[in-house]
Amino acid sequence: MPRNPGQKMGFLHKLLPWRRGEVIPFTEIFGRFQSILQKNTTAMEIIGDMGAKLGGEFIFDKKYLRDCVRQVSEVVRSSAYDLNFITANNYLEVYEVLENLSTELETELAGKIVVHQRQNIYRLEDIGDNMDDAVGLKAYNLSRLARLAGVRVPAGFVVSIAGFRGYLAYNNLFQKIETLIEDGAAGRRSLESASQAIRLAILGGDIQPGLRREILSAAEGICAGNPERCYFSVRSSALGEDGDLSFAGVHDSFLNVPFRELLSSYKKVLASLFSPTSLEYRQGKRLLPLEMAMPVLYQVMVNSRSSGVVFTLDPVDPTRQECLISASWGLGRMVVEDQGMVDTYRVSRQAPHVLLEQRIGHKASMLAPLEAGPPREVAAPAQDQPCLNPGQAAELADLALTLERFFKRPLDIEWSLDQEDVLWLLQARSLGVQSGGRARSNQLKGLLADHRVLLAERGVIAYRGIAAGPVALVEEGDDLGLVPAGAVVVARYSSPWLAKAIPRASAVLTDVGSTTGHLATVAREFRVPAIVDMGEATKVLKPGQEVTVDAERNLVYQGRIEELLHNQLLEATAFETTYEFQLLRRLLRRISPLTLTDPDSPEFTARRCQTLHDVIRFVHEKAVQALVDVGKAPWNLQRRGGKRLKSSLPLDLVLIDVGGGLAPEVQGKSQVTPEQVVSAPMLALWRGLTWPQAWSTEPIPVDFKGLMASLTRMRPAQLDGAATGMNLAVVGSNYLNMSLRVGYHFTVVDSYLGPMPNYNYIYFRFMGGVTDITRRSRRAALLSAILEESSFKVESKGDVVVARVKKMSQERTEELLVLLGRLIGFARQLDVLMKDDAAIGLFFEQFMGQQQAKQGELSSHGE
Amino acid sequence: MGNNLSICLLDDEPIVGDRLRPELENDGYEVEVFTDSASAMQRVEQRCFDIVITDLKMEGADGMAFLELVRERCPGSQVIVITGYATIETAREAFVKGAYDFIAKPFRIGEIREAVKKARKKLGKKTVQ
Repeated sequence: MPRNPGQKMGFLHKLLPWRRGEVIPFTEIFGRFQSILQKNTTAMEIIGDMGAKLGGEFIFDKKYLRDCVRQVSEVVRSSAYDLNFITANNYLEVYEVLENLSTELETELAGKIVVHQRQNIYRLEDIGDNMDDAVGLKAYNLSRLARLAGVRVPAGFVVSIAGFRGYLAYNNLFQKIETLIEDGAAGRRSLESASQAIRLAILGGDIQPGLRREILSAAEGICAGNPERCYFSVRSSALGEDGDLSFAGVHDSFLNVPFRELLSSYKKVLASLFSPTSLEYRQGKRLLPLEMAMPVLYQVMVNSRSSGVVFTLDPVDPTRQECLISASWGLGRMVVEDQGMVDTYRVSRQAPHVLLEQRIGHKASMLAPLEAGPPREVAAPAQDQPCLNPGQAAELADLALTLERFFKRPLDIEWSLDQEDVLWLLQARSLGVQSGGRARSNQLKGLLADHRVLLAERGVIAYRGIAAGPVALVEEGDDLGLVPAGAVVVARYSSPWLAKAIPRASAVLTDVGSTTGHLATVAREFRVPAIVDMGEATKVLKPGQEVTVDAERNLVYQGRIEELLHNQLLEATAFETTYEFQLLRRLLRRISPLTLTDPDSPEFTARRCQTLHDVIRFVHEKAVQALVDVGKAPWNLQRRGGKRLKSSLPLDLVLIDVGGGLAPEVQGKSQVTPEQVVSAPMLALWRGLTWPQAWSTEPIPVDFKGLMASLTRMRPAQLDGAATGMNLAVVGSNYLNMSLRVGYHFTVVDSYLGPMPNYNYIYFRFMGGVTDITRRSRRAALLSAILEESSFKVESKGDVVVARVKKMSQERTEELLVLLGRLIGFARQLDVLMKDDAAIGLFFEQFMGQQQAKQGELSSHGE
Repeated sequence: MGNNLSICLLDDEPIVGDRLRPELENDGYEVEVFTDSASAMQRVEQRCFDIVITDLKMEGADGMAFLELVRERCPGSQVIVITGYATIETAREAFVKGAYDFIAKPFRIGEIREAVKKARKKLGKKTVQ
């Protein structure tokens, strides 16, 4: 069928919606603006949905991931198109950013690794979430473990993959290595000779000057002015392909490296990436040469008095409830490499970790700590004395089991006790333990039948796993520091203040909550089994009661069921190690974090968008700005009918009337007064916004007397307007759509208010804020609590709070709009003032108290 | 415990079988997993399963054909369809072809276990073999 040329023109016109000089009717702009809001909400919902899949309770496949990625990219792209439509193609570079993100996402979906971070060096404490690609799994895991309560990891830094690639590039080694490997694989050279040639080339290279400086200054920072007595371990942190430390032992590592050898050690570790063993291993796994990458981990040496290894289970008989410790004096390598006599201890896995058995070896020699050069064997002191006392053995078991809870599998852990008896974690890797298979599971079933189930399938699993411990019932305001490590934390709400307890908890249960909330996110981050929304966990479970939480079957048992805990450790694979799960995590890195937070910063540009969430945020901000600009420019004011609202509030608000929202006398004027506003929902919201307390910046006394006193004292005019931004309200006689930016927050209120309850609704959306996630989620928790208390239906995902009501009477809808007005002013101060979790309760009381006082005041006016 | 029923699981995405098999085995079922419909069909020619869990859209023969074969060969089998392309149309077709339950991907592990439990109840004590 021949194409209709007219149709083609229409298509072109769609591509180029705006031509210079053409005035787009406001209704069209506003329609696009609403479409942007809607699309952004859809996109955030998809992102929240993907995030919830990290909890392990869902089975999802690659198709799901592909569909999600395509949907969310499509929606964001379409939203960007709308933005360009209303801004005369002002932000075309957004398309480029989206194109790059799409390419990266598609590359991930195609199974290739994209490394995003460009920095050469990361200190362990600076390694962020999901940076394992850049720094290697060993360093990444250590950085995660260092955040667990009671885990000490020696200070250190990693030379990232970017540093490695820089080294190869600086020395022109890419091509050379590739050719040599190909020759080896094709049999033109022996593997040994290829390996040797590569290693020589690497050892003969120069470290690029930038990296050289960075390594030395990072090491200086750690040694704090004492480089002579400061030694490092230098090891590979190479990427494993299955989430395990599978290269253990394949690459070289160096101990007691003095300052002057930091640089040469780097090259030596790199060279070991191409040892014959390593090459063979990689060829066996069909890893391409270019995928070889070697992050190198530097850590300060512990001045160890004793050191060794702890197994969280006896690999020979995993059914025994025991940790197995080996220890010797000095550096631990004698234990690791199984040389010489050592002490062995058996310690109960159950707190308080009683020492069950010890065999003290005759430790004739030891590796001397803190000496330059390769560790040297010297005569040991106290050759027949135990290296550990029962207390230290218990401490060690406690550390080991903390790590095991995190990894959810049996572990082989290297540790060191320094001269001051401080315990350090050096390394952790999976411990191979033979699984009993299905017979065990039938046996287990019989056993479980004998245990009392306290709660069955009551809530939603936020993070899968099995854990046991004493119940700690916590309430807001409790000192979470008092919650014993390993406790099953039980709380009424999944409030953000609980997040602090998670790293120490063995499991978390809440009566109310969702899998997309902040608490669930933190539980996933720390891999703590969590069930939310259980209804009455706080009623059923008693403080101190020992329970076993099965966050796989959604059951809580009375008592501690070791066999069940055990069974989880022996199961074939934890869901975290599946390919799909890892892929999801990788994809989310380009999708979900919000890095673009401050719209007033010069960095707030399309090109700085690193994730789809950033783009969503950017488009939103610019769309609001565009709408406001339309109203602001004087010529636009006349042509399109926007009018600035004159008021004492620190809000620069432009009103656009779409029919019956403003009094007729304002025709042709560029400013209106609040008295000239006749839009019913706008009037109600304005009542709330102008309510005296709404813009308070002072802490407000909560007692009634003080409240009344402050009511008479505070006037809006006194308040500072520095933190407010561009604002726009589209008004009709019964309609309001207001976009406010107050501080860093975006607020959208969309409402219809009239005599017919069926048509009435309010949509309220609040998002954004400072970068600090804790404060943001405290604020989200507070807003949600207030809104829920006031009969809104509230959804909170990440830093977005969406509240809705509909089909309410005119009076009730009006009341709620007044409340929202107050809440908007109130929320402005929250980021600054919500310094701790206690503030949530305090501000809730304060706001609701004011609400009651206000209702009292209104009814007395009515009399 | 009387629940040693047999389950045949067909999904071309290996992750589905990898994660469901241990769950179902832990519940005491005997589970066979297939990732291509040809070998699943071959197996069903040899024996019947109490419960069949299958994806609908897969490379090669699609799940609908497998479903038809199961209905024909093993009328006593309870079929649970799981699919990522959950439309009303496919659901209707699956039910018309005799599927017992229909679950959209991605799903919670609990949902599948629930569906299997229901199917088991429907089967009563009898096994189809």
